Amino acid sequence: MRHSRILGVGRHLPERVVTNAVLGTMMDTTDEWIQQRTGIRMRRYSDDGVGAADMGADAAQQALRAAGLAAGDLDCIIFATLSPDVDMPASACLLQHRLGIGGMPAFDVRNQCSGFIYGLAIADMFIKAGTCEHVLVVGAEVHSTGIDLTTRGREVAVIFGDGAGAVVLGPEPDERRGILSTHLHAEGRFAEKLWLECPSTRLRPRVTEELITGDEARIFPKMDGRYVFRHAVTRFPEVIREALDANGLALTDLSLLIPHQANLRISQMVAQALELAEDQVFNNIDRYGNTTAASIPIALSEALDAGRIHDGAVVCLASFGAGFTWASALMRW
Amino acid sequence: MGSAILALGHHLPSGVDCAGVRRPIAVEAVGPSTLAARAATSALERAQLTPERVDFIIFATMTPDVTFPGSGCFLQQQLGCGTVGAVDVRAQCTGFLLGLSIADASVRTHTHRHVLVAGAEVHSAGLDYSGGAEIAGLFGDAAGVALIGPATGPGGIRGTVLHMDGRAYDRFWCEFPASRQHPVRLTMENFRQGKHFPVIDFEAVRRFGNESLQAAMRAVLQSTNTPIAQVDCFIISHVLPDVSESAVQSLGIPSSRVNIPALQHGHLTAAALPVALSEQIASGQLGPGATVCLAAAGAGLSWGAAVVTL
Repeated sequence: MRHSRILGVGRHLPERVVTNAVLGTMMDTTDEWIQQRTGIRMRRYSDDGVGAADMGADAAQQALRAAGLAAGDLDCIIFATLSPDVDMPASACLLQHRLGIGGMPAFDVRNQCSGFIYGLAIADMFIKAGTCEHVLVVGAEVHSTGIDLTTRGREVAVIFGDGAGAVVLGPEPDERRGILSTHLHAEGRFAEKLWLECPSTRLRPRVTEELITGDEARIFPKMDGRYVFRHAVTRFPEVIREALDANGLALTDLSLLIPHQANLRISQMVAQALELAEDQVFNNIDRYGNTTAASIPIALSEALDAGRIHDGAVVCLASFGAGFTWASALMRW
Repeated sequence: MGSAILALGHHLPSGVDCAGVRRPIAVEAVGPSTLAARAATSALERAQLTPERVDFIIFATMTPDVTFPGSGCFLQQQLGCGTVGAVDVRAQCTGFLLGLSIADASVRTHTHRHVLVAGAEVHSAGLDYSGGAEIAGLFGDAAGVALIGPATGPGGIRGTVLHMDGRAYDRFWCEFPASRQHPVRLTMENFRQGKHFPVIDFEAVRRFGNESLQAAMRAVLQSTNTPIAQVDCFIISHVLPDVSESAVQSLGIPSSRVNIPALQHGHLTAAALPVALSEQIASGQLGPGATVCLAAAGAGLSWGAAVVTL
């Protein structure tokens, strides 16, 4: 069976830089506190009217150029986000609108921090099965309009940033190259440890004045940080080993690990647990914060630009986050 | 090796009068994952499989339980499927067809063996019942679940076609919450103006449905070499039942072989096709060996079709 491989990568980071010091003027927090717990120095915020699909379109155009393809060559568009431009339809539809194309299937994957790898796994299945030839997978988020930028919401708000990344995949005839495997997991019993409840169709109606303005403001995300941290440092190593084991590879064969940029302290503990050398792990959370579904393609794009991925390199993408969901994709470049 | 629908299940809440019409409405405060868990339990019982045998869950909805995580995570927990992957997809009215297509690719590439595809909606939590029946009366709540696995006989998922044209995304949409709006996605002003309710440009959606439903069915029948005479049942989903009826007429399909779920239940979007198919199997109208053509068109704008032999 043929494989799929990444033909081109692109990224878009909004121009507006928000440092920890700037957040300190909006809420009771400090640069030291944020850096110590998360490793984040700054993040980017989009401007009014700029949604995930707008940033995703720019990243997609770069990825298409790198792949030597036109938007019309795509036969499927997969958009991973938890912060869609509008409530309905999917951001994938708005991306088509921005790119001025239509006809090929386009849909959103809503899998939080693991959304990009889940999307990549679906693209891989479609290409392997012969359903598709060229698939665009975008990860894009605008968190800045959905977080509580007051002291009440500081624990979550300081972590997240806006951004977009995109990859174009195509067929790879050599079974030793391209995407070697994907592993997808979820554990819904921990859904409420990191979630954004409202609007919620469990309620009648799904949104009310009280839900928007009440003391709890259930329209903002909530996180049990310690709980998430503890599970992340267990599940990340587990799913990375699962990927390597499935391909008969060892940790020493790994050229580069690109973990979802959740928290620098998590990435450091994962690297330590797996005894990975510093040059085996890519991190950029210090500059962008946690961009959820966008973090892996943004990091992949930067790693390529920095010459960190050579021909034949074994690259592992791994994620853990809300759901809980966790996943890995192993590829030979 | 091909894939096949091994079993189906559905759950329809009892009918309630809303905005002057009778619709299935989830009066208990539950989200679509709870309705889907009931449908999935029926499907698994019919397939004589335990939840541990499921190794991937695809959840199609436009009315998720919470904003995040996805309803697939809640379904996974309610069924007790260990730590298998669960993905939420958004393709509006063609969500179930997309789920079938992903499940088919997954099984054919040996990525997964038993995949649950859920289409479930709780529209009643997000409609404006104060404004009359024009839009609020069109929709219903329901869940339909298909269990997909390796084909063991001549039956199977014979082919799917899927399309989206986002250039008309605002002809059938719900704008808020909108992450593109700074500083917050949903303001009190948006809320008071009712911008968190769906809006439909009926003329555009009707015109689009008239063109796309018959085109999707013709394409999938052709790509799977299936003459109309060999199809035992056409299940056609569009928010306006008469648009589905005109697609039937333009293809010359005898009305005895047509099921338009919106006539009976209102529009169930992602749940419409699996609910209708599951109902027909449960009532004995369709059995092993029957060939079914499923078609849907709607928000996005999306359209698609599939041919399946049971």
